Amino acid sequence: MIQWGYTINQPRAVNLDRNDLTAARRIIRQMPELQACIACGSCTATCTAGNLTQFNFRKVHTLVRRGEYEGAYEEMNKCMLCGKCRLVCPRGINTRGVVMLIKRELGEY
Amino acid sequence: MNFYDGFIIPFVVGCAVLFTVVLYKYVRWFVRLPAADKRLVRRNFFSMQTLRGIGEVFSECLLHRRIFRVNPLLGYMHMSLAFGWFLLIVVGWIETIAYLGGRLVPIHGHVFFKYFSTSLPHHPVWGIDFSSVMDALLLFVLSGVLLAWFKRLRSRAMGLRRTTKHTLGDRVALSALWFVFPLRLLAESLTSAIFHNGGFLTGAIGDALAAAMPLRTLSTLESSAWWLYSCALGVFFVSMPFSRYMHIFTEVPLIFLRRWGIRSGEKPKSFDHFQLEACSRCGICIDPCQLQRDAGFNNVQSVYFIRDRRYNMLRPEVADNCLMCGRCEQRCPVGLDLNTLRLNSRSRLHDTPSDRRYDYTAGIDRSSGTGKTGYFAGCMTLLSPKILRAMERIFNASGEEVWWADREGGVCCGRPLKLAGETNAATRMMRYNEELFRRHGITTLVTSCPICLRVFREDYRLEGIEVLHHSEYILRLAKAGRLQIEPGEELFTYHDPCELGRGCGIYEEPRELIRCAGKLVEPAETREEALCCGSSVANTALNDLGQQRIARSVGASLGETGADAIVTACPLCKKAIARGTDRPVYDLAEVVERHLA
Repeated sequence: MIQWGYTINQPRAVNLDRNDLTAARRIIRQMPELQACIACGSCTATCTAGNLTQFNFRKVHTLVRRGEYEGAYEEMNKCMLCGKCRLVCPRGINTRGVVMLIKRELGEY
Repeated sequence: MNFYDGFIIPFVVGCAVLFTVVLYKYVRWFVRLPAADKRLVRRNFFSMQTLRGIGEVFSECLLHRRIFRVNPLLGYMHMSLAFGWFLLIVVGWIETIAYLGGRLVPIHGHVFFKYFSTSLPHHPVWGIDFSSVMDALLLFVLSGVLLAWFKRLRSRAMGLRRTTKHTLGDRVALSALWFVFPLRLLAESLTSAIFHNGGFLTGAIGDALAAAMPLRTLSTLESSAWWLYSCALGVFFVSMPFSRYMHIFTEVPLIFLRRWGIRSGEKPKSFDHFQLEACSRCGICIDPCQLQRDAGFNNVQSVYFIRDRRYNMLRPEVADNCLMCGRCEQRCPVGLDLNTLRLNSRSRLHDTPSDRRYDYTAGIDRSSGTGKTGYFAGCMTLLSPKILRAMERIFNASGEEVWWADREGGVCCGRPLKLAGETNAATRMMRYNEELFRRHGITTLVTSCPICLRVFREDYRLEGIEVLHHSEYILRLAKAGRLQIEPGEELFTYHDPCELGRGCGIYEEPRELIRCAGKLVEPAETREEALCCGSSVANTALNDLGQQRIARSVGASLGETGADAIVTACPLCKKAIARGTDRPVYDLAEVVERHLA
């Protein structure tokens, strides 16, 4: 059979009713500006670590805000904290602060 | 002569508590010093450093020379209190010996000599009128107390726009200290009113008192005054080791330990205690802090950081909210390593074991070129393509063959992570880059980012590789005749990046290059006093608004020079300042590139 390179994605629905949002709320309370994110992806496009790995800052913090904490800590540990994302963010979000906050709050996941 | 009276008890108890606690602290801290530090003490104990230390103790702990440089009146206030009190003790001691010879006198006998010596004949000994000398010294100290009261009302007149907000313990100690000397004056005057043994000051006040009231009132008042004086001393001594006044003693061991080569490091250690408790909370670090004057934070300055850490109540919001620009460290009269202390506090808060972090960098090498001169752009330069292009043109124009370490993406230098407190993980990135540089056999490493430059110079093991900032490198090319820079008419002003200026001590090279390309005008706060752009990677707590406020204030201060364009030598400063000014902001490399022949 010819492989066309297409696959079927796994379902990616996030069930907010079933997810425990306590940690997400705690994170938002400490960094309310994160809600200003328009998910443009500039952070991920400039990311030093993202240039070398699959690390995707936008994806991780978006999932965390929806209560999907699995693996978030390990992913955030790929960040080099260089600060390029912060300079390109059109919403002026303190992205480096977000990385450190997520790591602090989700260390046990 | 009898040296006992009930009123000495508060003083003696205070003294006992003071010396017990201070001794306990010092012995504990010293015993806990790492073995390497103790070796340094043993090696350098009998050296010139010890003698120089004695000189420094005299000039800093007593005369407060460095505070005079901040403001002469403020310096005088500190000197009159410290040196004046010291002389009162020393001359008081000599006075006792002069009167009583080698006889053993208990400590309170020296302090309350005026009270106990009423039976002695009142005349000069060894040709010295001790009563008047002691009065002059007391007047000297009292002038300091007066200034301290005045500073409460009008701190601006003494060079401080803002003063420290004190804790309750500090207030108790402060009030006791303020009362000690006026009470001493009162007590000695009353004694001299009865026994006529005062000098020019206490004698005159005493005579006036004697004329105003009967002897019975005088003797009641005298006894109460000595009690109050002793209580004030006692309260001050008991509160001293637990308040800011612990600095009075702690600055002495700190000076010697520092002279012997002991430094704080990126991890907390016992030596830090000497630094923390040597802070007098004078508040000189508050005014230079841009977080205070532009962004409105009033509880994160070094004085509050040190206080919070000393009393174990340091929160991440305080530890992380600092630009580490070094403006306060530069001004600190005690010479504390404020940035290093902040750094190792962060490492205690945020550092995690990281054996496997950044394993994904293994085997990655996207460098290109074959030259012996390496160029490391750094993350921030990669985000500023104009600087990168300018550097490329400069390399081409000079005919330099370059090895591009990270043009196609590389690993961060590790300094931002280190400054955030994750020292272990930062080391792993540093080892990666070291290995990359070695593999390509470069002999010179040029970087256009002062953040990278500092970490290369301070933390990388790059023996055999010369690390240069692009300002140094380009100037070297120009001096060797490999670059022709044509002078222009444009008026530039230069912003010193913190990491380059205060961090690496590079002030002259960028200026020399700018003068090759145009005219240079200095802003009001420049060189060691230069402002921070506000976007420092060291601050992970400041939000965008705060960064913009600082950038606007820096932009305004640079704009006041009337320059056509602002030049800096750091890609991060360039981006930050551009947000706060309407003038063009260039990196040094861009300026040079535009003036290439």
